[in-house]
Amino acid sequence: MIAKYYQFDIIINKPIICTEENNAIKLEGEVSSWQEVIIAGKVAAKSKYRGVINKITVKGITVPSFQRPNFTDNIIEGQRPDVLIIGGGVIGAAIARALSKWEIDLMLVEKECDVAMHASSRNDGMVHPGITHPGSLKAKMNIRGNEMFEDLAKELDVPFKRTGMFILFNSWLEYLFGSTFIIRNAKKNGAKGVKRVKVKEIRKIIPNIPSDIVGGVTAPTTGVCPPYEMTTALAENAIMNGLKLSLETAVINLVETNNEITKVITNRGTVYPKVVINAAGLFADEIAAMANDQFFTIHPRKGEIALLDKNKGDLLNTIVSQVSANLLKSDTKGGALVKTAEGNILVGPTAFEQPYKEDYSTDYTNINALLEVKLPIIKGIEKGDVITYLAGTRAATYKEDFIIEKSKKIKNLIYAAGIQSPGYASSPAIAEEIERITIQLLKEKREINKKKNFMSVRKGIPNLKLLSKQERGELISKRRDYGHIVCRCEEISKGEIIDAIHATIPALTLDAIKRRTRAGMGRCQGGFCTPLIAQIMVEETGKNMLELTKKGDGSNLVSKFTKS
Amino acid sequence: MEQFDIVIIGSGPAGLAAALEIEQSGLKQIIIERENRAGGILKQCIHDGFGLHRFKKRLTGPEYAELFLKRVIEKKIPIYKNTFVTEIIEMENKSYRLTLVNSEKSLFEIEAKALILANGCRERTAKQVFIQGTRPAGVYTAGTAQYFTNILGYLPCKKCVILGSGDIGLIMARRLTLEGAKVVGVYEVKDTPSGLSRNIAQCLDDFDIPLYLSKTVTKIHGDKRVEAVTVQKVDLNLNQIPGTEEIIACDGLILSVGLVPENELAKSLGVELDTHTKGPMVNQSLMTSKEGIFSCGNALHVHDLVDFVSESAEIAAKGGIRFVQNKGEEELIHVEFDEKSFLYIVPQKINLLDIEENIHFYFRSKKVLKNVSVVIRTGDTIIFKKFYHNMKPPEMETISVNLKNVLQNKEICFELKEGVST
Repeated sequence: MIAKYYQFDIIINKPIICTEENNAIKLEGEVSSWQEVIIAGKVAAKSKYRGVINKITVKGITVPSFQRPNFTDNIIEGQRPDVLIIGGGVIGAAIARALSKWEIDLMLVEKECDVAMHASSRNDGMVHPGITHPGSLKAKMNIRGNEMFEDLAKELDVPFKRTGMFILFNSWLEYLFGSTFIIRNAKKNGAKGVKRVKVKEIRKIIPNIPSDIVGGVTAPTTGVCPPYEMTTALAENAIMNGLKLSLETAVINLVETNNEITKVITNRGTVYPKVVINAAGLFADEIAAMANDQFFTIHPRKGEIALLDKNKGDLLNTIVSQVSANLLKSDTKGGALVKTAEGNILVGPTAFEQPYKEDYSTDYTNINALLEVKLPIIKGIEKGDVITYLAGTRAATYKEDFIIEKSKKIKNLIYAAGIQSPGYASSPAIAEEIERITIQLLKEKREINKKKNFMSVRKGIPNLKLLSKQERGELISKRRDYGHIVCRCEEISKGEIIDAIHATIPALTLDAIKRRTRAGMGRCQGGFCTPLIAQIMVEETGKNMLELTKKGDGSNLVSKFTKS
Repeated sequence: MEQFDIVIIGSGPAGLAAALEIEQSGLKQIIIERENRAGGILKQCIHDGFGLHRFKKRLTGPEYAELFLKRVIEKKIPIYKNTFVTEIIEMENKSYRLTLVNSEKSLFEIEAKALILANGCRERTAKQVFIQGTRPAGVYTAGTAQYFTNILGYLPCKKCVILGSGDIGLIMARRLTLEGAKVVGVYEVKDTPSGLSRNIAQCLDDFDIPLYLSKTVTKIHGDKRVEAVTVQKVDLNLNQIPGTEEIIACDGLILSVGLVPENELAKSLGVELDTHTKGPMVNQSLMTSKEGIFSCGNALHVHDLVDFVSESAEIAAKGGIRFVQNKGEEELIHVEFDEKSFLYIVPQKINLLDIEENIHFYFRSKKVLKNVSVVIRTGDTIIFKKFYHNMKPPEMETISVNLKNVLQNKEICFELKEGVST
């Protein structure tokens, strides 16, 4: 499948200056569209350099730096951790959890008010099988990550389902070539069980596929796991094992002396770490630049996802995508129908290049096109079943591969960058590799041992609806609040919401409670439960209703008390 | 396990009215309510205008509910409050077993010979009408905004746009204005208002709040809190007209874009639903396709006035009583109607073996119409005709007809004829 951004038919008429910097190719100049910026970057990526620093600008477009908290204090001033991880997405959290096995002082800074606020809560939650990009680091990490995922999810009490995946074809020619291509790549990567399946066999698992399907490929190791829950679980488990998590903490600058980072300046104080791990996702290139070590640029590739009402969940119990001539022409190339671990059918994601890393707005044309192409893969689902949609951005480099390595220039800087799809599936493997590199680096300075009392098991908030009647009844008798249903669509109790508010990483915003418990994720989208949850938040935190927010500073739920 | 003749799910205006009707029969009943107070959505409807038909009075929502609730308490009709129905299964003996959850009794089961589903409706959301853009705080359905304002005493926004001219949207335009918020305007995608005429006059005109027809909100702006919305003109097919975008600064978007009957329990039981009403298909006693399961109020179809909600609950209750006392036979025919003229007709089916009494039909026209007659036909014979000067989709119409000895060929059809006579 050839993506649109590989089309080199657009000729860039403007001069582009190419120079070598930090063993990377650096592009400068001004062009007239973002598409031209991307094409120039793609062309440069074909060169022998290790990365592309794309500084080309578009006339009339200013791309802002990342959003930062608008306050300063001294809460982490003077801290001297052995390791400082920048970024509280799934990668940063997985690294933190892996490193928390060791006798080291560990800290993680995250600029948002919760973990998993960017790509890690804005993806399809798929644990990919690793059947693309043979020879890449992505493929290697994906295979290993997929193998590790199930046990990890079990240890951390996060729902994981090995749903498998089916890729369908509706023309014999495409089936012949497509399936051969996929199976060959899977073999090269080492993905297990990938093979052709007959329509008859597919229909046993997905009865309502279109009548023109001629065959498919199955990738049975594919799984699903809620990414925001996984990120929270990883970070909470790391905290149980000694991680210091500092939220609403943005890195303002790095001070580098003699190719070593000596100070990390944040809005909450200056930190003096021995080793810095750059897991800053979309902003990893900006962090690299602060260390005078930029050798790649992140170009945000946006994806939109739609979610369907759970009452249609039974129509699909796996993941299905379709390859067709029609699909190849469409803008919504990737994506599939995914039965999530939570029980909804998820549609998407789309993929298109745009300049803004934190622009999570959705677009009517894209969502419409996505639904028109994907919904027909299964009979019985329709536009009216959509309950919500959202967007996320992939942290892609122009080389389109992961960067998992020690800096070639800065002695105490380690990269887990350019982590785009299949980054979620790869996260345990990336963490394992970063753990190895970090410990090796620290061992050069002093002796490091594994903790004797590492706690590998973390218990999450119970999901009472999923328990047996007996277990559920017993839990309610022990804690009455578990019997008081607050979110009617997802059947979430007051007890579960209180648990989230007082969890290891407290859920202190409406969205955080939603990510922890699913309250508000159902068909009414919080219509009924929002005021009820707000009241519980007031009771449990002692905050005033006016202080409550949807997703942190500036996103207040209400504006004014009418009785004062 | 406690056994009941009839279990009512929901203690809003429908559930309470059904309970009072059942009480007269002496059957054993209980009401299940998921909130901590009975009264349903009426609790937050502090404006007046309820009960004009039934009590010839302009009552507030809580007052209307109180009239029923008082009698329910007097008659000692039991209500399980803060109690959630998590599962209903049909037993081999045709009764229904409900699994309930509450704090006091944990998870427990009860059994019922008949069920009355009176669990109301929910609001459609911004995403369900495909509004795009960001997802900031400050986007609320009108009902949620009403809860914040009337129950909790907090204004959800200071300057807002209201999308949808449904009744709750209009009521909230006035309510927010009275509490000191600025309502920039009410936008309606259709070329006619969705709410009752009296609400347009009393809630918008009296407060100089502009109503924009054939205009809709297409995009939300702002990362943290709503900063603005894009409004856009639409053509008669409701397609957005490019180039007509207008950005309006505000800190809130309130949506009144339709109500959907809640029928998750009905669906789980395999009850057949009507694609027009989104509620169950019922016969004249409001029994669904599942024997012993009755539906009423806004769970059956969205009503315009609470008076008719109570009325439908009484019909369902009577049906439930008859069902428990003497399971009658059924011979059903479909009520045919002209889909170009009507949005829907309830009941959708007639049980020919139970047509002694008058049958109440509820319907809405598809378009705004003047000088039309509703005609009920069986074969070539017209069995009922009623003239209307005005008919509009927001206003539900009701007629009562006796079909005894008149149905030919087991056929009944609703038509709309223009003009006074045919």
